[in-house]
Amino acid sequence: MTRFFETPWVQNCIVIGGFLLLALLIWSGSRNERWKRAGARLRRDRVGMIALAVIGLYLFVGALEMIQVPSSTGKRSILDLLTHKIPLEESYSAPLAKTTLVQVNPKPLNGSHLLGTDALGNDTFVQVLKACRTALIIGGLTSAIYIPLGTLLGILAGYYRRRVDDAVQYVYTTVAAIPEILLLVAILMVLGKGLGSMAIALGVTGWVGLCRLIRGETLRQAERPYVTAARALGQSDWKIITRHLLPNVMHLVFIKFVLGFSGLVLAEAILSYLGVGSPVGTPSWGAMIDGARSELSREPVVWWNIGGATFALFFLVLSLNLFGDSLRRAFDPKRG
Amino acid sequence: MLSYIIRRLLYAIPIVIGVMVITFFLFFVVQSTDTMAKRVLGPKATSQAVQDWKVNRGYDKPLFFNIAKGEKLFDSLFFNQVGQLATFDLGKSDVTGRSVATLFREGAVPSLLITVPAFFVGFAVSVALALYLVFVRNSLLDLWGILVCVALMSIPVMVYVIVGQYLMAVSFKYFPAFGFQQEGLSTVRFLMLPVALMVVSGLGAEVRIYRAIFLEEIDQDYIRTARAKGLSNTRLLLTHVLKNGLINIITLVVASLPFLIMGSLVLENFFGIPGLGNLLFTAIQTADFAVVRSSVFLGALMYLGGFILTDICYALVDPRIRLS
Amino acid sequence: MSFSPAPYFTPSRLLPRIVGLLLLAGVIVGCGNDPHPPPLKTKKEDGSPWLVRYGAMNEEARSLDPQVAYDQMSRTILEPVYDTLLEYHPMKTEPYEVVPCLLEAMPERTALPDGGVTYLCRLKKGVFFQDDPCFPGGKGRELVARDVQYAWQRMCDPKVESPVLSTFQASVAGMTEVYEAAKASGAFDYEQPLTGLEVLDSHTFRINLTKPYPQILYWMAMHFTTPVAREAVEYYDGKEHPDGPGGALLLRPEFKWHPVSTGPYRIAKHQPQSSYRLVRNPNYTATTFPTEGWPADKEALLRPLAGKKLPLIDEVQIPIIREQLPAFLMAQQGYLDRSAVGKDAFNSVVTASLDLAPQYKERGVALEKDVTVSTFYISMNTQDKVLGPNKKLRQALSASFNARAWVDIFYNGVAEVALQLISPGIYGFQKDFKNPYGYNLENARRLIAEAGYPNGIDPATDRPLELTLDAVAGDSWQRQTIEFDQRCFEQLGIRIKVVENTFARMLEKEDQGAYQLASGTGWGADYPDPENYYFLFYSKNFPPAGKNISRFKNDEFDRLFEQMATMENGPERLEIVHRMNAIFAEECPVILNFNKAFFVMVQPWAPRTHNNQMLEGGIKYAVTDPVLRDAKRREWNDTPEWPIFLALGVVFAGLGYAVRLNQKRNA
Repeated sequence: MTRFFETPWVQNCIVIGGFLLLALLIWSGSRNERWKRAGARLRRDRVGMIALAVIGLYLFVGALEMIQVPSSTGKRSILDLLTHKIPLEESYSAPLAKTTLVQVNPKPLNGSHLLGTDALGNDTFVQVLKACRTALIIGGLTSAIYIPLGTLLGILAGYYRRRVDDAVQYVYTTVAAIPEILLLVAILMVLGKGLGSMAIALGVTGWVGLCRLIRGETLRQAERPYVTAARALGQSDWKIITRHLLPNVMHLVFIKFVLGFSGLVLAEAILSYLGVGSPVGTPSWGAMIDGARSELSREPVVWWNIGGATFALFFLVLSLNLFGDSLRRAFDPKRG
Repeated sequence: MLSYIIRRLLYAIPIVIGVMVITFFLFFVVQSTDTMAKRVLGPKATSQAVQDWKVNRGYDKPLFFNIAKGEKLFDSLFFNQVGQLATFDLGKSDVTGRSVATLFREGAVPSLLITVPAFFVGFAVSVALALYLVFVRNSLLDLWGILVCVALMSIPVMVYVIVGQYLMAVSFKYFPAFGFQQEGLSTVRFLMLPVALMVVSGLGAEVRIYRAIFLEEIDQDYIRTARAKGLSNTRLLLTHVLKNGLINIITLVVASLPFLIMGSLVLENFFGIPGLGNLLFTAIQTADFAVVRSSVFLGALMYLGGFILTDICYALVDPRIRLS
Repeated sequence: MSFSPAPYFTPSRLLPRIVGLLLLAGVIVGCGNDPHPPPLKTKKEDGSPWLVRYGAMNEEARSLDPQVAYDQMSRTILEPVYDTLLEYHPMKTEPYEVVPCLLEAMPERTALPDGGVTYLCRLKKGVFFQDDPCFPGGKGRELVARDVQYAWQRMCDPKVESPVLSTFQASVAGMTEVYEAAKASGAFDYEQPLTGLEVLDSHTFRINLTKPYPQILYWMAMHFTTPVAREAVEYYDGKEHPDGPGGALLLRPEFKWHPVSTGPYRIAKHQPQSSYRLVRNPNYTATTFPTEGWPADKEALLRPLAGKKLPLIDEVQIPIIREQLPAFLMAQQGYLDRSAVGKDAFNSVVTASLDLAPQYKERGVALEKDVTVSTFYISMNTQDKVLGPNKKLRQALSASFNARAWVDIFYNGVAEVALQLISPGIYGFQKDFKNPYGYNLENARRLIAEAGYPNGIDPATDRPLELTLDAVAGDSWQRQTIEFDQRCFEQLGIRIKVVENTFARMLEKEDQGAYQLASGTGWGADYPDPENYYFLFYSKNFPPAGKNISRFKNDEFDRLFEQMATMENGPERLEIVHRMNAIFAEECPVILNFNKAFFVMVQPWAPRTHNNQMLEGGIKYAVTDPVLRDAKRREWNDTPEWPIFLALGVVFAGLGYAVRLNQKRNA
């Protein structure tokens, strides 16, 4: 089973599928009147557009690393192909240095490295770029788990109320009442390390907030005349939910998706600190930052790993946050 | 009100039971009782010692139901331990054999010494900064202020802690780089850096929310009336806006109050502070299930307590909401 | 909401003042970066300075019950607190030597005609337990032979959970019987004497073994066999008791957290998970500083100490510091008496010629190397269907592993590359032994072809052979080592799949033999005897009962092991051990990696009197110079002032901006 998911073309399909799904979601939203208005407002928001462009850049770099090309030495990504000329070094070296960073007979480097190299001699800049994929996969997969779950349960609870509402409330209060760290670590220990299990763990703990938000909004929308009218006309529950309720809460889901994404990228850093982060051989910003706990005490200080990773992570999260704010303003101009 | 609280407390029972079922399930799926014993006794322990260890702690019983012949159905790990917890008998740590209640009592002090000052200082500083941003609203500084807030939110906690320790303790040597000694007033020097880091790492998000709340208040009719009556901008801000905004903010943050006791896991672990966050972390790492289940139990109660506090706050602030 | 001037709450006035006052008070008392509490006293009764040692440990002890504790951290505390029957001579390390401690002389060995062996032991006279409320009148009583017997009985009590019981059961008479009896009845009968340890008179006892077990002497230098007072165990039961007749209920700690000993120190304060403070036991007389055995270069330091009453230091502060980095920082600021130089601090401390960096030389710091009694390796499962039958494949993997580079990257070239299982300093270690399957890539490529996988390709599938490497990857350091291992093996053309496990899962896999290669395994010796290494590969020690996680089974090796285990040291034994070394190298059940070693930074005020790795610190032999220490601490901890002014500047600039803006808007 896992072997099936590890073959390059299956992974490529998943990646392309993910991007298509996102596009489909935005496209289907764009037919909605409210979304159209918001879109127009968003286009005038300069900060939001810059943020969007930066996010697009990250998506592009991540996609380069995600698309796998079969090769003689196992799997390689497009990014690997683009950077295969950058040689491997023995160990640490400073940005653009000529020799490795050891005092006991330093060795000349095989090449030049913009951001230096890490403990195992990998080019830090390439590692930072590669880590985009980790961040995007964790954010994307987790969202793919928690958003449908939270939205569905939230709408069901808000629409049917009574028993359904009680049941949903019981489940999310119970999940939220368990200390999050314990839940995350325990799930990761059960499933084993891996980006997939991280996404599942974060998804299981992450849907509560969204569910609560959607439930509240659905409760409000269900009181609106258009829903009561639809019900009086004898429309089926399924139709009311898909035709009326879902489109009217979708913008909240979208905003939550963007802001939640930034939270997930940050969460990866904490998981790395707790020792349940990304698996060996998968570069991640969290792992690079965690490694700096000891690197900062070296002489001379190895700052480029934490620096590069923090920088990359910071701009992605910053852009996501700013774009999320712009979205919120665009959808709800009164409160922005 | 009283009947509301009682009902809320009754509602807590099924939730706590649900929490315990999940915890038991996760913990014992993660590791067999044999490996638990091995981790506690050390990798050099013999299998005979492992067996004795399990019997002495009741870990040789089945997990949920005892279906063996001649045994009581409910003579299982889960029911025995939940029964114990229900009477607030937290038992003894599996690793150190110390009473869990004592561990909590000892751990709560350092945790609270950090979280309570951090909460209040953080609250005061955030409110002050938010008010400042509102004061200079629509200026260039306001715009940059918000941008800085979002930027502060976008830095992982780890970076705050790592860089904070590096600058303040290693380069400037203002504070001890590590450790915690609870010895009267000198305890303060161990608290300063963790508290400061906790305040700073939460600053961005809080200032932003508080600013929004204050701005919402400024648009209210009564403020316009007051301004029309000739009240100065400063005075208006420092009395009416602050007061009414604060009420909204307090209802917002009150849910997190009970959690202060649980401490901050990352900070406690990083600075070696023996608080409850550290206790839970070590317990997970050393497979000390007695401590884990008690922590989860306590955490769940705190969470539900936060809920009740929020509801009460809303009722106090807005007489239209009745708790029923 | 109503509009009112809100007279009841004027936060604008009060709040800032309170916060300001609190901050000011905080800054005043929060000054200084000394992480230690003030010492218990500043002067001794005779007016000489109170001597304090600042040590560190990196984890909380699991238990302070001498019959139970088996981890290094517990031993760090137990060693200064409890004396053992025998002890290691602090300076003799090649070879290690045990000398009497609580015993008056070394035990007298007698071989019995039925194959059994007895040891006659005499306790020193006039050794007293420390004063403690558990004794009548609070005065410690004299140590007697019955206390030793009681301790050995405790080892057999299922409730005590002693982890080493089965080792003793194998040779000490009567231990199995009393254990089984206690299990059957549910309670241990301490009145029934133990046949394996007979009390002859108040200070004499005899140990009866059913078969020779020379290593018992080493066990007598460990804490499991150390005498404890029955009064103390029964008094400290972890329950509530009335404080005197009719007094309030008081909770007594458990014995395992309240040691009552005859040793040089007692625990003055213990903050769980945070720190220990030990203080000298004023009644201690049992041992004195050795009068011989030190290396010539320490003559000037040690000669004046010879024969002195131990311990030499009055108080020991031991904070628990989980990570290497803060410990190093604290040492740099002068707050620890010594610190291991970790991988990352290394470059700042040590120069190219493996000498101390000039800025540290200036400080007066000394650099010393500690080689621990341990060997680390990558285990291979010899019952695995690929690795098991294919000796050449195991040899190829071993030859592809660049242990030298590993040590260079992860231990800065300080640790020793392991070429044999036994670590340096242990009886049977061959100085000039050359592992035929040590790193040699050409050799490895030839071997893998001979193993049936030319260029790493499995002819059955025509694809690279895939092996699984199981590991625990908690922190970034472990992650890097695993990547390194993977890279080494993949040089052969094979593929290594890394599986990361939790610690618990890893133990399970090792127990079940459900792995191919396991990274990060190793052994730290309990005592300096080859038996303590080779029993790890004895086929009767398969897990879960034993520790043979490689599931190595070789009849010749087993036969030699059985023969060697019960022999006294001598040329014949040495011969056997060397033959075992050769078999082990040829069969390659593990890929040998390194013997852990590291540099230690020793502060000028606390020169080391010994570096015996069989001791956990040997605190009772430590010395310190408080005057020099205080001077150095002041010198190393000056703080800059400009950041404070910078911060104040920002605050005032902000306020000024607001005021100006307000004026402008009002104008």
